[in-house]
Amino acid sequence: MKKFATALTFAAALTVGAAPAAFAEDAYPNQTINMICTHGAGGDTDYNTRLISRLLEKRFGVSVVVNNVTGANGSIALTQYKDDKTDGYTLIGTNAMSLASNEASGLSDFGYDAFEVISVYGKQCGENLLVRADAPYNTLEELIAATQKEPDSITLGVAMGGSSYIAGLIMQMDNDAKFAMVDAGGDGAERMTSLLGGHIDVTIAPYTLAKEYIESGKVKSLCTLMSERLPATPDIPTAVESGVPNLKIDTLYVLLAPKGTPKEIVDKLNAAVLDIVNNDPEYKEAIMNFNFQEPYALNVEDSIARLKEQREHMMSYAKYLQ
Amino acid sequence: MLADVIPGLMSVLTPTVLFFIVFGVFVGIIFGSIPGLTATMAIVMFLPVTYTMSPIEGVSTLVALYVGGISGGLIAAILLNIPGTPSSIATTFDGAPMARKGQAGKALGVGVVFSFCGTIVGLLVLVLVSPLLAMFAIKFGPYEYCTLALFALSLVISLTGRDLVKGLISGLLGVMLATVGLAPVDSAKRFTFGIVDLNAGFSLLTLLIGLFAITEVIKAAEDVRKPVKAELETNVHIKGFGFSFAEFWSQKLNMIRSSAIGIVIGILPGIGGAISGMLAYTAAKNQSKHPEKFGTGIMDGVVASETANNAGIGGAMIPLLTLGIPGDAATAMLLGGLMVHQIAPGPLIFDKSGVEVFGIFFALAISAVAMLVIELFGIKIFIRVLKVPKYLLLPVIMVLCVIGAIGNANRMFDVWSVMVFGVMGYLLIKAKIPHVPMILGFILGPIFELNFRRAVQHAQIDPTGVFSHPIAICFFAVTIIVVILSLRRQRKEAALLQASEES
Repeated sequence: MKKFATALTFAAALTVGAAPAAFAEDAYPNQTINMICTHGAGGDTDYNTRLISRLLEKRFGVSVVVNNVTGANGSIALTQYKDDKTDGYTLIGTNAMSLASNEASGLSDFGYDAFEVISVYGKQCGENLLVRADAPYNTLEELIAATQKEPDSITLGVAMGGSSYIAGLIMQMDNDAKFAMVDAGGDGAERMTSLLGGHIDVTIAPYTLAKEYIESGKVKSLCTLMSERLPATPDIPTAVESGVPNLKIDTLYVLLAPKGTPKEIVDKLNAAVLDIVNNDPEYKEAIMNFNFQEPYALNVEDSIARLKEQREHMMSYAKYLQ
Repeated sequence: MLADVIPGLMSVLTPTVLFFIVFGVFVGIIFGSIPGLTATMAIVMFLPVTYTMSPIEGVSTLVALYVGGISGGLIAAILLNIPGTPSSIATTFDGAPMARKGQAGKALGVGVVFSFCGTIVGLLVLVLVSPLLAMFAIKFGPYEYCTLALFALSLVISLTGRDLVKGLISGLLGVMLATVGLAPVDSAKRFTFGIVDLNAGFSLLTLLIGLFAITEVIKAAEDVRKPVKAELETNVHIKGFGFSFAEFWSQKLNMIRSSAIGIVIGILPGIGGAISGMLAYTAAKNQSKHPEKFGTGIMDGVVASETANNAGIGGAMIPLLTLGIPGDAATAMLLGGLMVHQIAPGPLIFDKSGVEVFGIFFALAISAVAMLVIELFGIKIFIRVLKVPKYLLLPVIMVLCVIGAIGNANRMFDVWSVMVFGVMGYLLIKAKIPHVPMILGFILGPIFELNFRRAVQHAQIDPTGVFSHPIAICFFAVTIIVVILSLRRQRKEAALLQASEES
């Protein structure tokens, strides 16, 4: 016990002693990095944050400790840490959809530009537009035509204010679809339950959740909402191919640092992330097994551009969200 | 679904899971046996510890704590004449007199064995009924959930306390607390006063820790310095099970009846073991050929109470797993545990988490066996635990509460919430307002609101509305009947309960 206490004091002294050295960027990182994950343990954002943290830890040889600070779709953690210490030892792992939709819906009053963007480093396997297997339509065009024939009778179950709701809005405004939109839950599993139970006719849920029902023939996927077809499911067309050019919803995983974190640190982290995502076979295998994800990472400029594009896309629907 | 049975069994038959189950049952019994500490508290304390475990390890640990906690209450009930948990109140009626007659060992043996039997019967019903209910529950849409929540709330409020008005106050307080944060459906901010932390609302865990741990600590602190009047019966010898097979067989009807009562009460939301033990005891007494012997120290009374409260575990898990509606405070904690481990309760649970669900079933069975063995052979340890002074236990619990609160979301805000809820819970005790309706109100209020708002959306599309949903109409009708009946029976029951407790 006494030995342990001595070790602890020693470690504490080391940490304090190391702090000034953090200003020398060459030495970065030389102490524990705190990674704040904005979503709960067990979800996809958490999984991606933890995976990249573990591999960063391996690369840098310092601990990267993930803490889940949850609540209000990540907005609590983002508000709390956006102006945190800028020494590069506090980082934030989140997803870009929460960042953009929280701003568009008025839950937060800031966007990606309130942070230093380290990297967009992952892309979810995509939301699918789903109907029950016995539904008379097989493509998105047929479905939209059916809603126009009988307006407000085909129910589209969405999470009000969430990305599925925005997808519905895009179809209504751009392609004159006439869905009756109803709330069917923020959790994709809940929307699947409603679809299978016959309480709604159409819904939008991540491919991972729908996979086994598609395979067992209970549900059909009309399209994916990703901008490109998912390599794991080459037969499922995109919404863009199906005639709704604006219907592109990519859930991107992103690493952020508090505003004012030095560019050298951001660049160093970005280089490490790119290297892991593009070159580490362990990473590639892990994301494929977990969620059918393909490696996808952008450098700092492209990451910022991608977030800007997504933000503008979301903000153009902001007036329907508030 | 059946393909998940074997993987489910294999998932719990690992050294770590088995260790956690034995550990959980042991700790659960300790919490159950010490008056003032409850099964709920044990689960509250250990839920954060399970965050880092795999889902099956975590949930198995919680289930084991639950089984141990409910059963452990019989030790103090028999040896101290104080129920270790509220669910073993009725065990004191005959258990304590048996101990005074020098049959402490037999009373414990009977209690433990029938706790085991109750758990197993409850488990069997759980295994048989929940897949059926899950198939049925997929038909539950917004109308059905909305009226089901209403029905459950009416039951909770009318059955938990003796005072309808106080039950109502407690239930509504819970509903009101749940409205803080983002509203369902439209995510409007409510009662947040510009405080960012309030956007997420209060979490169930903080309310539970506050009401069931902090409050109990404050309450216990009141009389921590008072000399304990109760005498601890330490002269305990159990040979085998402590009773003969003929005696066991003579209780078969009693056991079946008490299990049935326990399971039904378990399924109904809000009325936990305390009531089921009492009801089973009363039923056993009324059906007995020798009702006059009840209260003098016969095993029938212990059998009824202990079978019923443990059978309730399986019962309470039926609506928890298939509908996401917990039957009592302890299962409300299990709900939190399932959600932490990404096992979403609901009609699809067998599809989505079949292996985990069968894992839970097997964990429950193994916990029952562990409980039987540990209580029969380790009784001396628990007797010693009963001698540990409260002033050593309570501060430790306080610290664990704070750790648990932090573990929830890594926010100090939750720690302050826990403290405030703890003080609030204490004031409510002083006002004799029961806690359980508040917890259930907190869970059911949002279910009601969410589904009410969805039902309104659906009603705009389909003008026949609720009239094309017969299940919903049934729930609604039953709700009205429950409210009317409970108003009429309120006084009668209160008098009856009071009389039976004083005797």
